[in-house]
Amino acid sequence: MYYPTAHPWTEDETLAQHLERRGVGRREFLEFCSSMAAVLGLGSLAAPKVAQAMQTQRRPSVIWLQLQECTGCVESVLRTSEPTIGDLVLDLVSLDYQHTLMAGAGTAVETAKQDAMAANEGGYVLIVTGSVPLAEDGIYCTIGGRTAKEIVEEGARGAAAVIAVGACAHFGSVQSARPNPTGAVGIRDVITDKPVLNIAGCPPLGDVVTATVVHFLTFGRLPAVDGEGRPLFAYGSRIHDQCSRRAHFDAGQYVTVFDDEAARKGWCLYKVGCKGPATFSPCPIFQWNTRTNWPIGAGHPCIGCTEPHFWDTMTPFYDRLPDVGGFGIENKVDLIGAAAAIGATAGVVAHAAVTGVQNRRKRRDLPIVEAGTVKQEEDNNG
Amino acid sequence: MTATAQPVAATPKDPPPAKPGYRSVYLWHWPIRAMHWVAGGCIALLVVTGFYIGGPYFMTPGEASEHFLMGWMRFLHFSAAAILVATAVIRVYWLFVGNRFERWQALFPFRPRDWGHMVQVLRKYLFIHPERAPHWLGHNPLQQVSYTVLYVVAGTQVVTGFAMYGLSNPGGFFASTFGWVAPLLGGHQVVRFVHHIMTWYFLIFLPIHIYLSLRADLLHREARVSSIVDGFRFVRADVDFIDE
Repeated sequence: MYYPTAHPWTEDETLAQHLERRGVGRREFLEFCSSMAAVLGLGSLAAPKVAQAMQTQRRPSVIWLQLQECTGCVESVLRTSEPTIGDLVLDLVSLDYQHTLMAGAGTAVETAKQDAMAANEGGYVLIVTGSVPLAEDGIYCTIGGRTAKEIVEEGARGAAAVIAVGACAHFGSVQSARPNPTGAVGIRDVITDKPVLNIAGCPPLGDVVTATVVHFLTFGRLPAVDGEGRPLFAYGSRIHDQCSRRAHFDAGQYVTVFDDEAARKGWCLYKVGCKGPATFSPCPIFQWNTRTNWPIGAGHPCIGCTEPHFWDTMTPFYDRLPDVGGFGIENKVDLIGAAAAIGATAGVVAHAAVTGVQNRRKRRDLPIVEAGTVKQEEDNNG
Repeated sequence: MTATAQPVAATPKDPPPAKPGYRSVYLWHWPIRAMHWVAGGCIALLVVTGFYIGGPYFMTPGEASEHFLMGWMRFLHFSAAAILVATAVIRVYWLFVGNRFERWQALFPFRPRDWGHMVQVLRKYLFIHPERAPHWLGHNPLQQVSYTVLYVVAGTQVVTGFAMYGLSNPGGFFASTFGWVAPLLGGHQVVRFVHHIMTWYFLIFLPIHIYLSLRADLLHREARVSSIVDGFRFVRADVDFIDE
């Protein structure tokens, strides 16, 4: 266990020296580096390199901005039942500015932030949680009298890397769901002149944040990302393909309602709306709350929170497919489809009946046609 | 094989003997006929397995290790989809080398007067002056439009299907080739939704298609059904065909 200390990480100290002062053993530190190398998909041979890079690291400057959000991401990253070295690293690097965790307040911390940004111009890491509301000149989120847009633009200007943590910073999360009254957008829509790395999720896994920071400290650049700007080491495969309930999916064993026998047996949650087949996240591997469990493990379908605009696209959370909006009870796709198909069949039957009646009527007036003669009939195509 | 106005495959030397008052016309080459039945079979399999994948209507009891029901459904679905794509490739090729009933010009009523004809065909099916509608050897304008819509729907199914298929192997061929689909439609759930609801087009098309084909045979003695089996249509010698 690592407790808050009276010894802050000072500028001239390396991480190794500081961890030693905090009572972290060499073995524990190497364990941490090995696990980070594994998380990043680097293999065990890279662990020494990670250790080397991390231990010689001087205190990096990190500015953590919290904008239009609920602080859940900070909770996820920092509040675990047993602080790990990863948490400690994050605690340490987020030293310069983190308005929830800072002891100070008001002008003092704003000045501290300005000083830190000026002193580390072009070298600090900017972590952002929360979206940026753009409607009505951004008045829906102001800190110290300045809008979120102003604050994040100013922060990104001198940043070496911009890391957007959480669904709000990724795409705007729930406040950007239709009709999006505050005009909330993700960081990538505001900061367009440099790459923004998205650590997606509502909230994201703390391990992914830690590993991304470790990657940056080790290699001096951000990890490879997918089309959504999410690090591939974490978001490279689907929940569905890593799921502990996958065997039940393939076997055809599904939970139909939450308190049925199948739910007790731990069958697949596909029929109760699990979005695992459309969601990329390492939840099944990393799990939550110091690897205690994760939503699907606890019997709740995945809601797809690492995917963009999941409040709009992944709802209803307990159904397989989106609803057809706008009209009353017949709002299910299959009802409409089946009605149309049955309607078409009924139409065909009715049409055939009318044709039959017409034909019968016509046949009465027609001469009997002998073989070899050509029927001369006015209405021959019916 | 070069694209010519003439059919690639020659018309069979001896057409089946027609009854007096009738003549036989060769319409559909074997690739078109094969495509029709193979694609039809695939679509039937795709609809059945697709509805299972969309909402599993059977469950298996006991241990998961003893069953592979969804696994087989998905295997059949993906296999049938692959065969359907193969038939589509043949169909697209034949759009350029087939006879004039099979070529791309037959996909759509291009000329203004075709649209007038389409109205006449519609009126004919609504029992309004059926005698005024002209006769076609190939597809009438309404048929052209409905079959072309079927191709478009099938194409949408293929594209959305591959977009979902790509999810299992991010960075693979399908994920990268069809990566544009989900952002275009607004997310993978919308892709699922489109794929699901489009399925109903086949189920709406099927009864109408079968009915109108049989109707043409029974009512007008036009041998439409047999034309997709052996390629020949028996038509009445006294009827003029607008696309002859």
